[in-house]
Amino acid sequence: MKKFFCLLLALLTLCAVASAETVNAADEAVLNIFTWEGYIDYETVIKPFEEETGIKVNYATFASNEEMYEKLSAAKGGDYDIVLASDYMLNTTRLAGLMQKFDPEIVTNYGNLYESFTHQFFDPDNEYVVPYVSGIPLIVYDPSVVGIEIKGFNDLWDPSLTDSLGLIDDARVTIGMVLLSMGQSMNTTDEAILAEAAEKLDALKENIHVLEYENLHNYLVSGDIAVAYTFTPFVALALDANPDLKVVWPQEGLGFGIDGCFIPVNAPHAKNANLFLEFLLRPEIASICAQWQYYCSPNEAAQAVLPDWYKENPVFNGIYDRIGDAEYILNLSPEDEQKFQDIWTSFKLGL
Amino acid sequence: MARKTAAQRREDRRNALFVLPMACMAALLVALPLIYVLVTSLAVGGEGSGFTLAHYKALLRADYLKVFANSLRLALDTTLISLAVGYPFAYCMARAPRRWRALLMMLVIIPFWTSALVRIYGWKILLQANGPVNAVLRGLGLIESNIKFLGSYGSVLLAMVYCLISLMILPCHSAVDKMDFTLVEAARDLGARPWRAFVTVTLPQTMPGILAGCVLVFVPSVGMFYLSDIMGGGLVLVGNLIRDQLLKVRDWNTGSAMSMVLIVMSAALYLLYRRSGGDNLGVM
Repeated sequence: MKKFFCLLLALLTLCAVASAETVNAADEAVLNIFTWEGYIDYETVIKPFEEETGIKVNYATFASNEEMYEKLSAAKGGDYDIVLASDYMLNTTRLAGLMQKFDPEIVTNYGNLYESFTHQFFDPDNEYVVPYVSGIPLIVYDPSVVGIEIKGFNDLWDPSLTDSLGLIDDARVTIGMVLLSMGQSMNTTDEAILAEAAEKLDALKENIHVLEYENLHNYLVSGDIAVAYTFTPFVALALDANPDLKVVWPQEGLGFGIDGCFIPVNAPHAKNANLFLEFLLRPEIASICAQWQYYCSPNEAAQAVLPDWYKENPVFNGIYDRIGDAEYILNLSPEDEQKFQDIWTSFKLGL
Repeated sequence: MARKTAAQRREDRRNALFVLPMACMAALLVALPLIYVLVTSLAVGGEGSGFTLAHYKALLRADYLKVFANSLRLALDTTLISLAVGYPFAYCMARAPRRWRALLMMLVIIPFWTSALVRIYGWKILLQANGPVNAVLRGLGLIESNIKFLGSYGSVLLAMVYCLISLMILPCHSAVDKMDFTLVEAARDLGARPWRAFVTVTLPQTMPGILAGCVLVFVPSVGMFYLSDIMGGGLVLVGNLIRDQLLKVRDWNTGSAMSMVLIVMSAALYLLYRRSGGDNLGVM
């Protein structure tokens, strides 16, 4: 019996020691990042940060914004120190109370960002989110096989483009494009306008050859399609493979997105997270991230260090003049999202 | 029925012990998640509590039924083509000299070791407008301008058959291999022509393998949607519908109801197969 009590006592002590250690977790030299696979480069960003600060970085990944939100809610805003996600989900996360403010005493270089990329709907007072990269879906086409000059969305309906279009396989993005072409908001939930958009989308059927969410540039380079409407990195990749392609900043308006970093409300290593935000905002690091991601940089100070090939690329430099025309795709209620999905489903069924 | 001896009962108990870990795994990893999906599909959802069949009723829409029909059609086409190509292959493999048989078997199994994704991207490169297939066809003077294979229904079908055909070949091969060929010889001796001997002797004897192969190919084809997406098919399949319902619309209840319908469809098919006596071949 005595032995048993000794054992119990030993176990209890062990538990006490273990819990004492978790209390000190905030002082641990650890940083837990949560984002998409390959979204922050190890060699050029994380490793230098580890070497400079002695903080060990753990990198956990999610496949979609929605998965991130589920996991972060389940962890009650804990477990992770830095989360990098997209604009609409940043807004949802902030409204759910899962973010904490970053520390302006540590993150002293927030001013490196373009004024026009701050005060966004997901963080109106610049307290929670540090924008990382930004992108705009653009039209890119091969002028050697396209007989017309494409200036905007409405040119995609041109009869000469029969069976030669590649569009993004996503209800919100592509119906949003149709809405922009009609001079409407991409986030409209007005039944009459949506019905009109569905009809206009149907009229595009003959011209569509392929619908794919990612990697549309491959079809353009291989000659399977002549025109693509696709996300920033894929437009840039298409241009790399064939410099004769033409990039179009649609005159009717732009879809737009920002991916940004925040610190969850119960982040175990909030101080390290603030240090990392400061690190990301440095011009050299922001420049590396923009080049690595093939996205537009929201960091004005980074322009001084970005290489010429990047700054002269029409895919990356057009946003600064056009940001006033850009519109975010916002999260709608499940009922309204359903409206978009229904239009998309019946459109695809009729292809 | 004779009563079991004590030794037999002990043996039974020991065997049950061996099965126990697997039963636990199945309960934990298969049954529990499925029950969760079932409960979600019946729950009212949102702020409400209680149960309802509303999510199932919501599936009775013309466009959703068309989506289910799309998936079934693609699965049926995949199964038929796999059978048409896989059965002769399996037959030849089983009748081939021993040396050849090992080589052929390797050809069937080795692709299994490579990621299906990588192999499908290989097909995409082969089939693209300025790719090797078009180059060869043009070189032979068969076509004037490049054919746009990608994005067509045929390219999706090709990818499906390519990924699943080994599931047809293996059970068919096993059935042909186990068959007693002296029966075919007897039929031939009695004057049956080769075709007649095949239809009246070989086909019925290998039917269990054919059925097993069809079930093995059909069931995964119904739920498979990423191949169509990769080949740019733009098809709306049940899988697409479920994914969009969960991730885009964020209506987990309706998404779960769709999943349940898919599961019940697959299970019904499997039961039908068992009913038709399909369990007497050691492949399923």
